[in-house]
Amino acid sequence: MKWWLDFSNDAFIVAFFLYIASFICYAIAIAGKRWSNRKPEDHTARWGKIAFGLAIAGWAAHLAFFFTRWHGAGHIPTSNMYEFMTFLGMAIMLAYIIVHLIYRKVVVGAFTLPLVIIIIAYASVFPSEVQPLIPPLQSIWLKIHVTMAAAGEAFFAVGFAAALVQLIRVVDFGRTDKAGRRAQFWTEFSLFVIIVLIGFIVSVFSFRGAGYEAVFTQETVTIDETGAEHSQVKEVKYSLPPIVAPYNSETVSFQSFVGLKEPLFEAPSWLNGVNAGRKLNTIIWSVISGFVLYGILRLIARKKLTAAIHPHLSDIDPDDLEEISYRAIAIGFPIFTLGALIFAMIWAQIAWSRFWGWDPKEVWALITWLFYSAYLHLRLSRGWQGTRSAWLAVIGFLVVMFTLVGVNLVIAGLHSYAGAE
Amino acid sequence: MFQNTKCECGHQNPVGTVLCESCGKPLDEKLLKDQDAPLEMRYDGVARRSQKANPHFVDRIWNFFSSVKIAVYLIVITLIGATFGTIFPQESTLINLTERSEFAAFYKEEHGTAGVVYHALGLSRTYESWWFIGLLVMIGTSLVVCSLDRVLPLYRALNKQQIRKHLQFINRQMVTYAGTVSGDGKDWAERFGKELKRKRYRVYQENGALLAEKNRFSRWGPYINHIGLIVFLLAVLGRSIPAWHMDQYLALYEGETRQIPGTNYFVKSVDFTIDYYSDEELASNQKGKLVAKLYETKAVLYECTDACDDPTRDPVLTEVKSHDIRVNSALTYKGLSLYQNSYQERVRFISVHPTLTDSETGQAIGSFDLKMDRPDEEYRVGRYTLKLNDYYPDFGLDEQTRPMTKTREPNNPAFVFRVTGPDVQEKGEIFIYFPMPSEKSKYYEQILNESFKTRGDSTGRFSLKVENPIVDGKMNNIEFSEYTTFLNIRMDKAMPYIWVGAAISMIGLVMGFYWQHRRIWLRIDDGKLSLGGHTNKNSFGLRADVAWALGKVGTEVDPKSLDNRGNVR
Repeated sequence: MKWWLDFSNDAFIVAFFLYIASFICYAIAIAGKRWSNRKPEDHTARWGKIAFGLAIAGWAAHLAFFFTRWHGAGHIPTSNMYEFMTFLGMAIMLAYIIVHLIYRKVVVGAFTLPLVIIIIAYASVFPSEVQPLIPPLQSIWLKIHVTMAAAGEAFFAVGFAAALVQLIRVVDFGRTDKAGRRAQFWTEFSLFVIIVLIGFIVSVFSFRGAGYEAVFTQETVTIDETGAEHSQVKEVKYSLPPIVAPYNSETVSFQSFVGLKEPLFEAPSWLNGVNAGRKLNTIIWSVISGFVLYGILRLIARKKLTAAIHPHLSDIDPDDLEEISYRAIAIGFPIFTLGALIFAMIWAQIAWSRFWGWDPKEVWALITWLFYSAYLHLRLSRGWQGTRSAWLAVIGFLVVMFTLVGVNLVIAGLHSYAGAE
Repeated sequence: MFQNTKCECGHQNPVGTVLCESCGKPLDEKLLKDQDAPLEMRYDGVARRSQKANPHFVDRIWNFFSSVKIAVYLIVITLIGATFGTIFPQESTLINLTERSEFAAFYKEEHGTAGVVYHALGLSRTYESWWFIGLLVMIGTSLVVCSLDRVLPLYRALNKQQIRKHLQFINRQMVTYAGTVSGDGKDWAERFGKELKRKRYRVYQENGALLAEKNRFSRWGPYINHIGLIVFLLAVLGRSIPAWHMDQYLALYEGETRQIPGTNYFVKSVDFTIDYYSDEELASNQKGKLVAKLYETKAVLYECTDACDDPTRDPVLTEVKSHDIRVNSALTYKGLSLYQNSYQERVRFISVHPTLTDSETGQAIGSFDLKMDRPDEEYRVGRYTLKLNDYYPDFGLDEQTRPMTKTREPNNPAFVFRVTGPDVQEKGEIFIYFPMPSEKSKYYEQILNESFKTRGDSTGRFSLKVENPIVDGKMNNIEFSEYTTFLNIRMDKAMPYIWVGAAISMIGLVMGFYWQHRRIWLRIDDGKLSLGGHTNKNSFGLRADVAWALGKVGTEVDPKSLDNRGNVR
């Protein structure tokens, strides 16, 4: 069994680097069109082919990772956050391959690949060890519900990537009026949010590689029915240098980090959980490293990032991008309905005796579904096609990500076993 | 307001028609102004049912719900409303609280001022609130009205399509082509139509005019989806019919049989077992923790066949089904389902086998089986008779320190016996017996027996005791339950309709999203070819079809060049 799991981990790393290689080739295909001694169309076609081939190879390695892990663990690897996020990355690649085979637009790959890379890198932040299944997860519906839901969400992800290209494509940097500046700002902001996510991943892995750790304890006193006092001491480990300590906590150990010898401040009282402080600290670190990364990229580009990408997109028709985005969402919507709602209801009926219980995860799946229903209806109306529906596709994917990750980190509920530590 | 709705082709259109029902010429003033803009093809430009000249009061309500804009508003408001319910836990998830004051205290303690506001606003019951249910009902109404308003006129329009369309109609489609045809136009159209047939289009021709159409059925997808959603929503409403719905919890210790309240069924927990993962099976961050691998209740379901409501007799039970109830595997019998909800480790005696001892002689008289729940009225031990005088399943003392039972559960039972027999005083000897070996109960036992003695009801001659309660580390002469299992008993007669609704909805979605209705019109006037194509989704695919068919008849075009949307966005 161990051999299979080791092989699986190797395959994952191979997939990761193949995806990066594929992304680089996509970037060359798009950015290198005007290099000397070549015809732009030939250049794009050639590098696009190489990039797609690498993406396929990466996906094959990803599949190998998935199936060997399944074999080694004895159950489908979709049962915790690490497994689910890697599976989502794999599903997005499948959705991308399908959309690519229909439309063959190199630029969609250039934006989908980095998304997949970020998602599987993010997956690696979570503990990757195989965990045995707890009784509620021992069901065939773990295979059916989770994979179908992820497949639907994967198409929304491709829709998001195409919509983002479309937005960058149509931004008019010549405009100085209010609406024009607003469009410029928000498009740039979307990229910034992605960079903050990269900043989060980079900081987690840097400090993990350096073996950083700080420990706090928090004592909570509760009074039970009989009036007896119970005090409970909870411990929390920080893997990022604590800028914020948990509310009402004691420092147990603290490795100093470039002059930071103690937390700068304590979490406010409304974030009183022992883990709330750690999460706030992580967010602060992500934003800081996001700003640093963004600053570096801005220095290299010497203009807004969207403005740097924009000229390379001039030969793509925004109508085509909009159609790709809409089509991806239209393909994903029935799959999402089936996987994330209907199959979820069937499983909930089998395991929890009720098909619907307003659990936060259920509610957010419904919210996602309602959001995309609104998108699909609005797109029928004149005036909502084009940039507006592209923005909806972008926001829709944010809702998807909140449902998948945010609910587990912030709200939890019955699906808490799928969450982080 | 007077409006002339007669088209130049002679067709009389209803008020609100955008494109003439017959020839397709634009009638709407806005569309007439900008001669080059692509046409608004929604619902094929027919008038919706709600577009009447003089709307009545009822019509106004109908009109309100018939608007897609209103539907989108309703969806968005519902969506935002639903998020409120996820800020803090809902009251329904706090199963051990019942009173309003308890809930108020919970939100205050756990979430401070924000929690108090949350509870006061009723957001702790978001999904049961009048406004949320109201929104769902409004969405349901909108589904019905929007669909009816559009599907019938659309059906009529698609059912009697004119083949020869107005030039403006053709040239203002999203996919267009204009060219010249040498030779006989009819012949060309014939050949072109043949090619489209190979792409599975249905082709109709009329004097050099052509209509090719495929996958019309996909237009009905959204309406079928809406029907499914309505069935689903009605089924959800149906769950509020009391006779359709049952939801209760039953706690059973091992060996206990209990009636399911409100039914003729009894359920017995024969055994409850739990297995934990071994350390080797666990991940490194789980080692040393108890992670359940499997827990199940071996259960038997009985139906009462006789003496069900007779308090003097025990009901006659017939076994109807037995099943090992697990989290993902419920016991189901005739629409009644028993689910494994949770369990609690709580040692409780089922029966003991005590020995009656005569403390004067120090001799054991004999032993008998004593059930903790529903004990017998009388026991015969040797030559003596033990009559059960009093029974406290869950012993406690009331405010005047008199014995009483706290609950009807045999958590800590106490038995008061009156012994009669040879050389025992006339009125018998009374004593109390606590089978549970806890210090507290043994203390009560001693005190109460002392008081019987002082009252003269007892000489302290008899006592009950379990002999050799532990042999080789195992309980002896004692049958006990280690776990109490909590079963969730459900009946939901609306479920079949829920699944039917969901299935219809899915069929509609697949029809609507995975096929696209495509139509191509063309006419040839004196060797001048005008072609227009329309699809509700995937114009990319339609352009490819048109370019492919044109290529087959000898006109090579780039599919992209057929795009008539002008890239104005």
